Amino acid sequence: MIKTLSISNSKLWRNRLKFDFWSLLIVLLLMCFLPLLDLSDYTLGILIVAMYLAIVAMSWNLLAGYCGQFSMAPAAFAMIGGYIVGLSDFHAQLSLWISVPLAIVGTAILGALLGLTVTRLKGPYLSLTTLSFAEISRVIISNSHEYTRGDQGLNVPSMINDRLSYYYFFIVLVLLTGVFIYWLMRSKLGGFLLAIRDDQEGAESKGIDIVFYKLVAFTISCSLCGFAGAMYGSFSQLVSPEMGLLQQTGLVISMVVIGGIGSLTGPVIGAILVYLGSEWLREIGNIQMIVFAFVVIIFARFFRTGIWGFCLGLKQRLLQNHHE
Amino acid sequence: MNNLLSIQNLSKSFGGNQAVDAVSFSIQEGSIMGLIGPNGSGKTTVLNMLSGILQADSGSIKLENRSLNGLKPSKLAKLGIMRMFQMTRVFNRISAFDNLLISGQALGLSFNDSVGKADQLMQELQLEHVKFLDAGELSGGQKKLLEFGMCFMRSPKLALLDEPFAAVHPKMRETMVNFIIEKNKIGHTFLIVSHDMPIVQQLCQECICMSTGKVIASGNTKSVLSSPEVIEAYLGDDHV
Repeated sequence: MIKTLSISNSKLWRNRLKFDFWSLLIVLLLMCFLPLLDLSDYTLGILIVAMYLAIVAMSWNLLAGYCGQFSMAPAAFAMIGGYIVGLSDFHAQLSLWISVPLAIVGTAILGALLGLTVTRLKGPYLSLTTLSFAEISRVIISNSHEYTRGDQGLNVPSMINDRLSYYYFFIVLVLLTGVFIYWLMRSKLGGFLLAIRDDQEGAESKGIDIVFYKLVAFTISCSLCGFAGAMYGSFSQLVSPEMGLLQQTGLVISMVVIGGIGSLTGPVIGAILVYLGSEWLREIGNIQMIVFAFVVIIFARFFRTGIWGFCLGLKQRLLQNHHE
Repeated sequence: MNNLLSIQNLSKSFGGNQAVDAVSFSIQEGSIMGLIGPNGSGKTTVLNMLSGILQADSGSIKLENRSLNGLKPSKLAKLGIMRMFQMTRVFNRISAFDNLLISGQALGLSFNDSVGKADQLMQELQLEHVKFLDAGELSGGQKKLLEFGMCFMRSPKLALLDEPFAAVHPKMRETMVNFIIEKNKIGHTFLIVSHDMPIVQQLCQECICMSTGKVIASGNTKSVLSSPEVIEAYLGDDHV
């Protein structure tokens, strides 16, 4: 690896992305071996939920980390995706083979409609609008007892009965999400998103239609969150308004910040570490969010590039020493 | 030579401040025109309207008889109006080379064509040694050169350069000046905002001077720079 990556060209975006993608594959490969440690069903369940959150975190990172648009609605779109599956089963007994694609398309359409408004906004206004949307959608679902059974939630049919198979299934889902985002970011769309993130006005004056590309990123991100929510619903066999709590969005953001914003691997590392950490903290009381808020502040202040950025810094130093 | 760009009675105000007041001028194809004036005279506002960042309150902008009023900056860039900003606007967290690649693709070049053009520009602008550094790691002058290069990924019809030589090392300034001269020889058109009078005199055949939002002198650069109105606007009436 050191031979093929010189200090210089490793900083080219396509090479950075390739390295990032290979690292993601290694992380997922390591996760494939975890069940050899004779993990209990409970622990496997925690890891599956962590991978669900990893997909949501990767989707949010596509929008915030690569495009600089800080949506506050990733958990809300996951909830909506879950509810599309739940409602399809409850009211029309549709199979998951139909309802999951419906969830992907439905959240994409809803995301595009919301995107039409928010992609013209800048800075805190985008965050505030998506935050309002997230709360409104959660309250509507929670109060529509007649259709959604309110806070009781809806049952969702399971796809697989065996928990270990579910574990590997979710690894494949994270991999597919990673491959999709890798492909997207390697294309010219990826470059345009990075340009928009770094300087919107500069990007627009160089010929990039920023409203259109932000809308594309917003739609894809919402759709991926909806897909994650639908798959989580089928695993937990229940969707409830709790999936869309602002606390869940906070958890997703902290996963991305701690893992490393603007990377493929960072959100996955962050999701696994933060969710395992939150389960561990559960034993000492309901103080997870306080602890994570502190950790996020520390990372935002001292390790802005997160764990992944720290690892990249080490790699760069290694290459530098090798070069010298 | 044909008129490339025609501006008629262009006006823009911000609240009660009339930043640009009925400005009219035209730029001929293949020329280098200077736009000078003291700070706050409305030069950058004119450039902002020409590049679509601001919409004019009134007046018309035409490129080869096509109206540009109301068009977005991205659309104008695709039509060949490229803008270099006074406060450099590059993409800081990606490499200098990627900055050029993305600009090329945004202007419709294929990936391979963008790579070829980016390599050529890196060489011409003497930026090869910083090719793989993140743009944020470059010096102010190198950033200016990089943004300058981004404007030339696809031959622009008109390059709008806002203070391209400000706070740039003389060696880099020379590189930029030579680049402009070479491009002008093959027919490129420039509108340059600058306070650097020797360079304006060296480069620009024609010049416009603005003060308090109005054009106070225009025509041959030498005669504009020696006009009493221009000297008064720059140095005060004691020097006239």
